[in-house]
Amino acid sequence: MARGGWLMSDLFAFNGAEGAGWSQPSPSLGDDESWSTVPESLRRVSPPGWPRASEPELVRHYTWLSSRNFGIDTGFYPLGSCTMKHNPRLNERIVQLPGIDRIHPLQPEHQIQGLLAIFFEMQEMLAICSGMDVVTLQPVAGAQGEFTAMRCIQEYHRSIGQDHRDKVIIPDSAHGTNPASAAMCGYDIIEIPSATDGRIDLAALEEALGDDTAAMMITNPSTLGVFEPDISRVTEMVHTAGGQMYYDGANFNAILGKTDPGRMGFDAVHYNLHKTFSQPHGGGGPGSGPIGVKSHLATFLPSPIADRRERVGDDAKGVGDGYWYVWKEVGESSIGKVQQWHGNSGAVVRAWAFYRRYGRELERMSEHAVLNANYLRHRILNPDSDTAERMHAMPLDGVPAEVVKHEFTLSMSALKDAVGVTGRDVAKRLLDYGVMAPTLYFPMIVPECLMIEPTETESKEVMDRFAADFHTILGEDPEIVTTAPHSTDVRRVDEVWAARNLILRHPGPE
Amino acid sequence: MLSEMGMSSLDELFSDIPEDIRRDTPLPLRGPQSEEEIWADAQRLLGANVSLDDRPSFLAAGLARNFVPTMVGMLATRGEFLTSYTPYQPEVSQGMLQAMWEFQTMVSELVGLPVANVSMYDVSTAVAEAITCAVRVHRRKSTQKNVVYVSMFVPPQRLEVIRNYTQGSGLEIRILEHLEDGHIDMSSAAEAAGCCAVYVEQPSAFGILDPGLMDLKAVIGEETALIVGVDVVSLGIVEPPGNWGADIVVGEGQPFGIGPTAGGPIYGIFACGEGYTRQMPGRIVGLTKDVDGKRAFTLTLSTREQHIRRHRATSNICSNETLIALMGAMHMALLGPRGIERLALRVASATEVTKRAVASIDGIELVDPQACNFREFAVRLPGKASDALVHLDANGVLGGFDLGVWWDGMSTCLLIGADERTSESDIEALVTGLSSWLEGAGS
Repeated sequence: MARGGWLMSDLFAFNGAEGAGWSQPSPSLGDDESWSTVPESLRRVSPPGWPRASEPELVRHYTWLSSRNFGIDTGFYPLGSCTMKHNPRLNERIVQLPGIDRIHPLQPEHQIQGLLAIFFEMQEMLAICSGMDVVTLQPVAGAQGEFTAMRCIQEYHRSIGQDHRDKVIIPDSAHGTNPASAAMCGYDIIEIPSATDGRIDLAALEEALGDDTAAMMITNPSTLGVFEPDISRVTEMVHTAGGQMYYDGANFNAILGKTDPGRMGFDAVHYNLHKTFSQPHGGGGPGSGPIGVKSHLATFLPSPIADRRERVGDDAKGVGDGYWYVWKEVGESSIGKVQQWHGNSGAVVRAWAFYRRYGRELERMSEHAVLNANYLRHRILNPDSDTAERMHAMPLDGVPAEVVKHEFTLSMSALKDAVGVTGRDVAKRLLDYGVMAPTLYFPMIVPECLMIEPTETESKEVMDRFAADFHTILGEDPEIVTTAPHSTDVRRVDEVWAARNLILRHPGPE
Repeated sequence: MLSEMGMSSLDELFSDIPEDIRRDTPLPLRGPQSEEEIWADAQRLLGANVSLDDRPSFLAAGLARNFVPTMVGMLATRGEFLTSYTPYQPEVSQGMLQAMWEFQTMVSELVGLPVANVSMYDVSTAVAEAITCAVRVHRRKSTQKNVVYVSMFVPPQRLEVIRNYTQGSGLEIRILEHLEDGHIDMSSAAEAAGCCAVYVEQPSAFGILDPGLMDLKAVIGEETALIVGVDVVSLGIVEPPGNWGADIVVGEGQPFGIGPTAGGPIYGIFACGEGYTRQMPGRIVGLTKDVDGKRAFTLTLSTREQHIRRHRATSNICSNETLIALMGAMHMALLGPRGIERLALRVASATEVTKRAVASIDGIELVDPQACNFREFAVRLPGKASDALVHLDANGVLGGFDLGVWWDGMSTCLLIGADERTSESDIEALVTGLSSWLEGAGS
């Protein structure tokens, strides 16, 4: 098998097996007739055109594919808003245990005391860290958490005769999932522009608020990495208008243990266990997006929630902590389920293992994440004079701020004006230097934006090296940068061709 | 690092948080632990759970007690896959992109439809988003605007998910009736003609394979989308819905790639005809080329998605279940076209043998005696199913699922699941347990 070039490893070109690359026993129960009750009319006529590959061929194929994929394990991954921190391998080992991998969500409570205990501990921990009253672990992604919480707010308003509240206010710097999730509930979206310094424009907010306001959705620190100083004023204004405050927890890594959404006045929050609590991103998922709410919203949450009581006489042993764990139904006013079972339990268990590493010292995690972001920002924005002289233009600060939180934005607009090199070009050129590109062109209020989040698990040496490479790129021959990347598995990819031609599957085996 | 920034303490980095909302006390949580201590606690806590492999188990109810090939876990957790983000930078993400394009191909082949996405959260959200997708396509031409019919045998939790996802777009969910014997009621189906979409499951929640569904598209007509939920393993021997008129096929992908994992992470498959492509939810990978003309893969049709289209997106889905879909792809590739047939036959024969054994017990009858079943079947007991399950549990058997939990009036009905791992001694344990319960209940 040739490597690279046109001759790539092709799953459908292997011929190492006649159609079953993996051995399994013959049907061992009954005779051949035992399945013939499947009516002739229902029988599959021709088998699926699946690969005819042997296990060794597949092992090589997937190993080859993995070598063409960049993860945190490969190198620095400063992808803003995504919190690409190290994923401890212990957590992967734990979820292989039969006590999680081989568990059915409908098993009786006495068979899953350990799982319920972990769920309960995680609910309590997340409630404490966020200043909320009740937590559910059911939503399986951040966007689903947003959706679930907005559904709870919707039913809450219906329950108090406020059905007419059909508008949700969202700043233009918000993640795209915020407006999409609210719209899926049936809300109309009012987008308010951010002030030039990235803060919430209180005048614009005042204008947007009204008797029809259902809620406001924001993340704090914002996607610009800046903490909103007027946050208490914002939550007060929205509450006065009769609306609810929703906290997008995507940026929770910045503030854990330092402040919390409860203190800021929020009513509901989601957490991204795949960001803050190190569930691996897996090329796009799985995630886990639990939500926490204040008590007035708790009766609308999806069922069930883990609960516990003191152990009594004839209870079985349990997990040995003196408690008996149970599923608690939320009751009649629940919005109902958003996932059929109890959420991404495996992700919850990984996050639990991550949390246990820090315990009450979780705030060290946020301190180091914020320290790293500020340090890297400082290094990039303050090159020494020799370095600065070699650059075509300086990187510009996305927004003026004394300090940032866990991430920051840069604008490449001076570079673009000087030599025609765009933010996208710089991002692609970084790939040649063996690091992942930052988040590109988001938030849109910063022109030629790069959004950078180093996380707490990177060393000073890695960030120094990144800053030096960044400065080098800003001084390189523009021709090299605008045609980057040059050393990756493929060079710049034609996304327009893909969308025009829509070749969405392999033609199948030859 | 601090001194280089002209700072003297970490506190200065948090000086932008107004004092009145700062936390000034430590988090009231337990102390930090080492890896050794966490591993010990994990073993202790998760060891207190009873694994499906510890005892004869007949609990399925939509999830599979499968056997995942060893290669799958070992290769899918390679760090390059495990620790990567959504492949927004295709130049350094060709591995996962190609694997997902191959996944789309295998799903497409399995269900008989040309287009598949990279995954949904699970089958319940896949159904819900299939419905909203179908409505976007059919709303204009439908004669029953905003009306969707859903099979009466869709489990209530799945129906709750559907209601949550559809209530915002003002849809009316009507129930599609089935006959006493579990098969589709064609006169009820005829009433659905001209609505936006009809959702049925093959097999149903009772494991019934209904040949009548193959005529459903002709009854509801071209202007109504037929959405079919499948047991993905059954398609090794059962004709794929794409070949009998389904416009969208969804299913729980979990049997391919991962254990039941207490209900997640699992993944939903989503496939459709070309007319639905631009209204689909989720990530889609397309073939393309790089500037040198070299074959390449990239995420495509992003203009449907939330990060571009915001509140006009086809869905809010962002994080999905890619890594689990990768595990599924590896499992499907290992099975191959003959392996999937073999696997389906093993499940079908285990279902039939278990069914015959249980039905032969005096006092127990099949709810649908004439039906053909795959993976699951329902029996009616002379007493409460919950009591039978407690008795079986005491005898070391996980006996199935109490259908009274899902439907009022079915509290004497037990849903029994069989699979490729069901053994003769498992069946014997179930029959012995049910028989001894019947004797006790009778005395």
